[in-house]
Amino acid sequence: MHIAEGYLPPVHAAAWGVASAPFVVHGVRALTREVRANPESTLLLGASGAFTFVLSALKLPSVTGSCSHPTGTGLGAILFRPPIMAVLGTITLLFQALLLAHGGLTTLGANVFSMAVVGPWAGYGTYLLCRRSGAPLMVGVFLGAFVADLSTYCVTSVQLALAFPDPGSGVAGSLAKFGGIFALTQIPLAVSEGLLTVLVMRLLAQSSKGDLLRLGVLGRPEPKRHEGAAA
Amino acid sequence: MLPIDAAAHSSRWRRRHPVEKAALGLGLTLCAVCLPPWPGAPLVAAATLAVLLGPAAVPGRQLWRAFRIPLGFCVTGAVPLLFAVGGPGGPVSWAPDGPVHAGELLLRTASASLGVLLFAFTTPVSDVLPRLVRAGVPAPVVDVALVMYRIVFLLLDAQAKVRRAQAARLGATTRAAVWRSLAGLGATSFVRAFDRAQRLQNGLAGRGYDGTLRVLLPGAPVSRPFLAATGALLCGLVALTLVLERFLP
Repeated sequence: MHIAEGYLPPVHAAAWGVASAPFVVHGVRALTREVRANPESTLLLGASGAFTFVLSALKLPSVTGSCSHPTGTGLGAILFRPPIMAVLGTITLLFQALLLAHGGLTTLGANVFSMAVVGPWAGYGTYLLCRRSGAPLMVGVFLGAFVADLSTYCVTSVQLALAFPDPGSGVAGSLAKFGGIFALTQIPLAVSEGLLTVLVMRLLAQSSKGDLLRLGVLGRPEPKRHEGAAA
Repeated sequence: MLPIDAAAHSSRWRRRHPVEKAALGLGLTLCAVCLPPWPGAPLVAAATLAVLLGPAAVPGRQLWRAFRIPLGFCVTGAVPLLFAVGGPGGPVSWAPDGPVHAGELLLRTASASLGVLLFAFTTPVSDVLPRLVRAGVPAPVVDVALVMYRIVFLLLDAQAKVRRAQAARLGATTRAAVWRSLAGLGATSFVRAFDRAQRLQNGLAGRGYDGTLRVLLPGAPVSRPFLAATGALLCGLVALTLVLERFLP
């Protein structure tokens, strides 16, 4: 769920922009280092970003009979690592605002924080935890995508609750209100995105094993790797 | 190509410098967000619509098709403000000032969306990205964004073709088939994106690629009269809003 243009009060919009800036700057530095060391990775990173954009354009069947789209942050973080996803996610959100009128420019900071920072980090953390505890790859992939999706919506709920506290019960009541509304649709969607990500990863393991090995998803990652270098 | 970007490429203001259009479109958006929603947002929306349909000559039908998407989000986003949770009215009740707050939010988001659409409908993304280097964005990030922009349209085309092929092979008849098709579509997009990047890399290597993507930009000087008119419009809107706020209920 992208927060629409103009939805947040100016102070909140600016504050979320400030909150997401360090993560994006960290990602920009990682990406710049990588591109300067390996100029040819510009094209692979561009392809990765385009893949993220296209992934978010897939229509998922929803339990209510309607459709929604995956955030794509879980799969992106597992494949390309969270710092790179912060940059690619920011560019993707910018493109979505300008090309699809989806999201917004004043709410870009808030959307980046939920979709390009918290979602990827939470999803990647869960994936790593599963892998290090010896869980099978696909279990880690499912839980990573599930948590990335769900954490994105939880953060969005918090952002909306802080911006529009309930007149009677304050921020807590508002959080229950927005969280309750999202829970109806987003928990099934998070499960759906987890399942779809597992199916995509299974197909990739068959058809693009070389790419997954290079990205460090299959097998052991290379010992000397900068953050996001695999992308 | 996506409809908004296609319209931007054939816009009457296509040759204007992006800074001029950013000052106007994003200035109107900021006015919509920062000014009091009543009467600021309707004034900003009216001014933006007048510019969009008048001097910028954006076709009304295309504008409506693009605007109804954020408008739908604005409406659904305003609905929760009508209700209060907990408190003396019970677990869920009508919020006392709910309709007023929802109406103000609707006005603000709708007029702010129009401001961004004014920029998007007149400025192709390909005109903006290369200029971001001068604004301080590191060149590698801009290069990655440029590659993304080029590949996105190819991937969306490929995705539409794959989807049609899957439907023709009865890939959308049952729920299980839909999931299989979706997974195939996601994996195919990944494979095609990397294949396209590999081929681009080979092509660029043959042309002596040194890590910098050089792009020719049409020379468009920044028009001072345009910027002055933009400033006058924005100042006029701010002044009119603050004056009317005192007299209107």
